[in-house]
Amino acid sequence: MTKPQLQNCFHCNEPVPSGSNFSQAFDGQQRFFCCPGCEAVAQNIISQGLGDYYRFRTAPASKASPLPEKLQQQLQSYDNADVLGDLTTQDGQWQQVELSISGMSCAACAWLIEKQLKQDPAVASASVNSSTSRCALRWNPAKTQLSVLLKGIAGLGYQASPFIADNEEQSYQQEMRAYLKRLAVSGIMSMQVMMLAFGLYFGEYTGIEQQYEGYLRWISLLLTLPVMFFAAAPFSQSAWRALKAKELNMDVPIVLALYYTFLASTYATISHSGEVYFESVCMFVFLLQLGKFFEFRARKQARDATSNLLKVMPVSAWLWDGQQATATSARRLNAGTLILVKAGETIPADGVVQSGESSADESMLTGEYKAIAKAPGDTVLAGSVNHDGILVVQVQKALTESRLGQIILLQQQTLHQKPQLLEKTDKIARFFVQRLLVIASFTFAVWYFFIDADRAFWVTLSVLVATCPCALSLATPTAITCALARLNRKGILIKNQQVLEVLPKLNRVFFDKTGTLTQGRFSIQTFVVHQHHYSADELCNLIANLEAYSEHPIARAFATQHSRQLDLKEVQLQVGAGLSALWQPQAATAPLMVKVGSARFCQQAQSGAHVYCTIEGELVASVVLSDALRPETTTLMQSLKALDIQTSIITGDSSAQAEEVAQQLGVQQLWKSCTPEQKVEHIQQAVAKGDTVLMVGDGINDSPCFHAAHVSVALDSGTDLSKNQADVVLLHNDLSLLSELIAGAKLAKKVVRQNLLWAVGYNLVIIPLAVCGFVSPYVAVIGMSFSSLLVVSNSLRLLKQ
Amino acid sequence: MSIISVLIPIAVLFVILGLAIFFWAVKSRQFDDLDKEAFSILFDEKQQHKKSEPDKKTDDSTS
Repeated sequence: MTKPQLQNCFHCNEPVPSGSNFSQAFDGQQRFFCCPGCEAVAQNIISQGLGDYYRFRTAPASKASPLPEKLQQQLQSYDNADVLGDLTTQDGQWQQVELSISGMSCAACAWLIEKQLKQDPAVASASVNSSTSRCALRWNPAKTQLSVLLKGIAGLGYQASPFIADNEEQSYQQEMRAYLKRLAVSGIMSMQVMMLAFGLYFGEYTGIEQQYEGYLRWISLLLTLPVMFFAAAPFSQSAWRALKAKELNMDVPIVLALYYTFLASTYATISHSGEVYFESVCMFVFLLQLGKFFEFRARKQARDATSNLLKVMPVSAWLWDGQQATATSARRLNAGTLILVKAGETIPADGVVQSGESSADESMLTGEYKAIAKAPGDTVLAGSVNHDGILVVQVQKALTESRLGQIILLQQQTLHQKPQLLEKTDKIARFFVQRLLVIASFTFAVWYFFIDADRAFWVTLSVLVATCPCALSLATPTAITCALARLNRKGILIKNQQVLEVLPKLNRVFFDKTGTLTQGRFSIQTFVVHQHHYSADELCNLIANLEAYSEHPIARAFATQHSRQLDLKEVQLQVGAGLSALWQPQAATAPLMVKVGSARFCQQAQSGAHVYCTIEGELVASVVLSDALRPETTTLMQSLKALDIQTSIITGDSSAQAEEVAQQLGVQQLWKSCTPEQKVEHIQQAVAKGDTVLMVGDGINDSPCFHAAHVSVALDSGTDLSKNQADVVLLHNDLSLLSELIAGAKLAKKVVRQNLLWAVGYNLVIIPLAVCGFVSPYVAVIGMSFSSLLVVSNSLRLLKQ
Repeated sequence: MSIISVLIPIAVLFVILGLAIFFWAVKSRQFDDLDKEAFSILFDEKQQHKKSEPDKKTDDSTS
């Protein structure tokens, strides 16, 4: 079988690089893969008899990379009884755990993972939810360890990690189920009652014996009971709460119209007089529930998407007794304990380094983007990432008292200080409901005492039904739900709907610097060649080849320069300093000694550059690195200026880079070396001044500010905690989405205004007619439905591009 | 016409039964993930085919 020129990977559908040759027979055909990772995963899937995955999946898998050694070790720490105890619940011989799984692309993935887990006899049940990317697992830890099961999932190309769902999430789940039940009751009962209502309608024209009319009415009444007292219960409760607090909300007139119609119909049924409107009651409840259900589902999806990320708190730690490391739970560490932190791991507690040398990335906690060298005697912070060396650390504070714990605490405190804005529809509702109630009672009184006492009851009913604020109550939620869907398609996830009401008033934006305005990682600024025997390309590639052996963030700046593989021998890594190796170029006879690293490591004079490269002790290249600005920031700043929005930078970084960035972008204000507390203070001052404030950030240290501002935006590259706390998450790593967000909010506001105008206008026309008795209840119901439909279709326009 | 006094209560009983089944389904989490359940029917059918007629596997997938 010959290989065609252009191939896509059978597993992940990415193009297969030319020259690579990873293939596997499946369904009688030779399939090609882009990398050994994908090949291994596919081999694993097919050999386990799970090839159906490839036959039925609807989306390609994400690119599989083999599980790094370090991660495998970390998985093993989950087998420790202490750690397991924190993560799981015991149920007889079974343990229950919730796993959050990344890399799932379609429902077939859920099937694949379930099948794989269930093959293990120790697994009692495994249920994967493809919409939330979660797996509920029940297994017997005595027979199979959790790490074995997690490795099994990793073998399929997914990363699974234990996850603890918070209370809020569980209440969302229950609420969702309650919505489904109420929808079913109101929907099915509407159909039944409508069916009976048809019998009654025809009876009006062709004549119906009174005994059958009464019978059909009684059955309708019976079927409407569960709708009134079960499906409509949330409306009644909300209206009751509002009345008890001596306030009026949108639910008050809804409940009033519902009960008035229901009681009038019940009275008509018992007394064999007048008309019944049970079908209107049921339909009304069903439609309102449907609207609320869609709104709730959009909110829940947005929440689920980000809550999966909350894995910041390091869960496990290695206890160190001088010779051996034993796993334990990070929550159980006490002051004074010695722990071991391996390369690439998250540091589990605040402490002092006892031995070992390394550097740590604290940017997420402090905003400082350069790695900080750690030697014995230095303090390390929980939540920062250890780069390349192994450290023995003496714990000083338990996790809850650590800097990370403090920031999380601060953030929870600010949660309740979120500036509140009165919802506009509530204001309109209050105004409207007061007048409506006055008009209705006035109508009843006038008709009862002066015109026709018999008709007073029915005319008042018409007034209430015709003016029932159905359209008014749908005006805002439908427009907002559609606007959310529209923005979501563009890659903007909105978790708090109030955002859309606030954004049009925005006049001030605070930016974090590191990772938000800048890329948060090093890139090459200038590359100076000192020895013209070599070309810049050649040297770049040489440095990249060598740096590929290091995990230091500086090394990552060179990853893009890696153009071809060089033959390097005896590669040695000196932690916090640099790398050396023997290089055999084609022209040279003997291998050359190459060193890449700091000035001291290369034995060169410090000249302001960050990385030096020597060959046989002679300086050949020096590189200046910087944290470059995101390319889209300039246009963003211009468009913000055009909208007359003030901009400020608020950063924890103390370096001179902050001024450079502020000047380059024309930002009006700059605060640097701020602690999280100071950041919150600055924002609260702006809020107190009456500004409507938006905060954009990415780090853990930004998350407390998120609650202080009216609107908070996190970037996709940000920390999980910040994404979890923000009102808005930009799903693509593109700051220009911010102007899209503001534009989308303005459009939504326009549609809401149109909707409200129509709903109020319609009511103004119909009220005088109804008061004068020109509108029969039937016509009132039709008018109300038409007006609601118009509002909904107007909102749906937002979904069009 | 008196037949409706029997038929309608029977219809109502069926409605109650249907609702009870729906409530049970919601409670046993069948509506938590609709995508996966839609898929599971596809997969399970294939599994049975494989067990009974293992040789026809490739024919099935191409059809």
